[in-house]
Amino acid sequence: MSLVKRVVLWARQKSPWVLHFNTGACNACDIEIIAALTPRYDLERFGVQLKGTPRHADVLLCSGPVTHQIKDRLVRIYEQMAEPKFVVAIGTCACSGGVFQGCYNVESGIDQVLPVAAYIPGCPASPAAILDGVVKLLASLDPANAPKAEEAPKAEDPAVPA
Amino acid sequence: MDAQFVYQNLYDLFYMLVFPGLLFLIAFALFAEYVDRKLHARLQHRVGPPWFQPLADVIKLAAKEEMTPRLADRRMFLMAPLVALAATATAFLYIPTWKSDIRYHFEGDLILVLYMLTVPTVTFFLGGWYSRSVYSMIGAARAVMQLFAYEVPLFLCILGPALLANTWSISKMAAFYQVHPAFAALNILGLGVCLVALLGKLERVPFDIPEAETEIVAGSFTEYSGRLLAMLRLTIDLETIVGAALIAAVFLPFGLGLPAAAGFAVYLVKLLAVVCVLTVMRSIMARLRIDQMINLCWKVAAPLGVAQVLIDLVAKGYLPRGYLQ
Repeated sequence: MSLVKRVVLWARQKSPWVLHFNTGACNACDIEIIAALTPRYDLERFGVQLKGTPRHADVLLCSGPVTHQIKDRLVRIYEQMAEPKFVVAIGTCACSGGVFQGCYNVESGIDQVLPVAAYIPGCPASPAAILDGVVKLLASLDPANAPKAEEAPKAEDPAVPA
Repeated sequence: MDAQFVYQNLYDLFYMLVFPGLLFLIAFALFAEYVDRKLHARLQHRVGPPWFQPLADVIKLAAKEEMTPRLADRRMFLMAPLVALAATATAFLYIPTWKSDIRYHFEGDLILVLYMLTVPTVTFFLGGWYSRSVYSMIGAARAVMQLFAYEVPLFLCILGPALLANTWSISKMAAFYQVHPAFAALNILGLGVCLVALLGKLERVPFDIPEAETEIVAGSFTEYSGRLLAMLRLTIDLETIVGAALIAAVFLPFGLGLPAAAGFAVYLVKLLAVVCVLTVMRSIMARLRIDQMINLCWKVAAPLGVAQVLIDLVAKGYLPRGYLQ
C-alpha cells in the first residue's frame, strides 16, 4: 500500500461521521443509538460525530426492517452520501426483518435494499454492541484484516457480524 | 536578477506559505480545534477526541467524493470555499505575531483585515444560496442577517483603540499599546464585546443560528461534501485563529518586546486563552433565536461599542499632549 493510501485509510478509520436513519423501527434501537452518542459512552473518543446531512456522513446507521413506505427514501438518502460510504444495520429487524420477516409491508432487512457493511443484532442492540460493531467495521476497512474467502460470512445468514 | 532580489522573493514566499503564513496557521488552527473540542468534552465530563482528530477529519474529507447538487450553480458552489479560505489566510499576514514590526503592514491594514474577515461570511452566504437546497438557503439568509448584527459592535470596538493609538494599522496599534500598556485597560469593555462578536462571526454557540443542526440540518454547508467541506471546516478553524490573533494584537499587548522564543510562547498562550474563553462560552450556553441575537447585538453590544469609542475619545482629549511619543 502506498503512503498516501495508508494515510487516507488511517484518516478514514479515525473519523467516521454517522447519519442515523430510522427505516421503520419501533424506536428501541434508535434510543440505543442515541444512548451510544451520549457523554456516557462518548463516541467522540473514536472520532464519531453525528451529522444531520447525508452529504457529510460516512456511515449510515439504519434501524428497522425497511417498510415499503421508507424504501425509496432510504435509497435516496444513500445516494446522497459521498463515496466511500458504509451502511450498518442495527438491531435484529434491520439485519433480517426480525419478527416482521415476511410481513406484507416490509422488505425484511436492509440488505434487501442496500449493500450492508456491518450487522449488529440485538433487540434492541445495546450501545456497547453498536460500539463494537462500528469498531469492527472500521477495522475491516484495512485490506490486511479482510476476511478470507472460506471464512467470509454467508449471504443467507445476515445475522453474522461482518 | 541579483542575489538580493532572489533572496527577498524566496523569503516572501516562505513568509506567506510556511511561517508564520499558511502552513503554521493551518497547523495551529487544527491544534486549536483540538483544544476546543477536548476542553468542551472535559466540561461535559467526557474523555474527548485524540489530538490528531481535526487532522484526520480534514484528510478524510479531502479523500472523499465531491458532489455538486444538480440544481446548484456549479461555479459559485466551487468558488465559495476557495475564496473564503484564501481571504482568511490573507488576513492573517497583516496581524502582528509576537513582534509589532511585521513584514507586511501599511496605514489602513486594520480595515483590510476586518474586510477580509467579512469575506468568509459573504461566501458562506453565496455558497449556501447557490446550493439551491431549502436548508442551505435558510442558513445562508440567517448568516447574512447575523452578519449585520455583530459586525457593527465589532467594528466600533476596534475603532476605539485605533482612535486612541491614532493609527489605522494593527501593527502600529500593537506597538503603541506595547509602549503604553496602561492605556489597554481603557479598552476592557471593547474586549468583552469583541469576544461576543467573534462568537457571532465564527457561528458558534450561542450564535450558531445559521448552522443550527437541530433546525436546519447544517445551514449553508448542508450540500457540501468532500474536499469543499474540508475547505469550509478549515476556513472556520483559520477564522478562529485570525480572530483570536486580532483580539490579542489589539487588546492584549503583553510580551511583544520579548526575545523570539519567549515572545512566541506568550503569543501562543494568548491565542489559546481566547480560544478557551470561546469554548467555555459555547459549553455553558444554549442557542439563541435569530431575533434574540439581533436584539442583543443592536440593543446591548452596539451601545457598548459606542461607549468604548467615547471612552477612548475622552481619554484622548484629557491625555497630556505628546503622549504619542
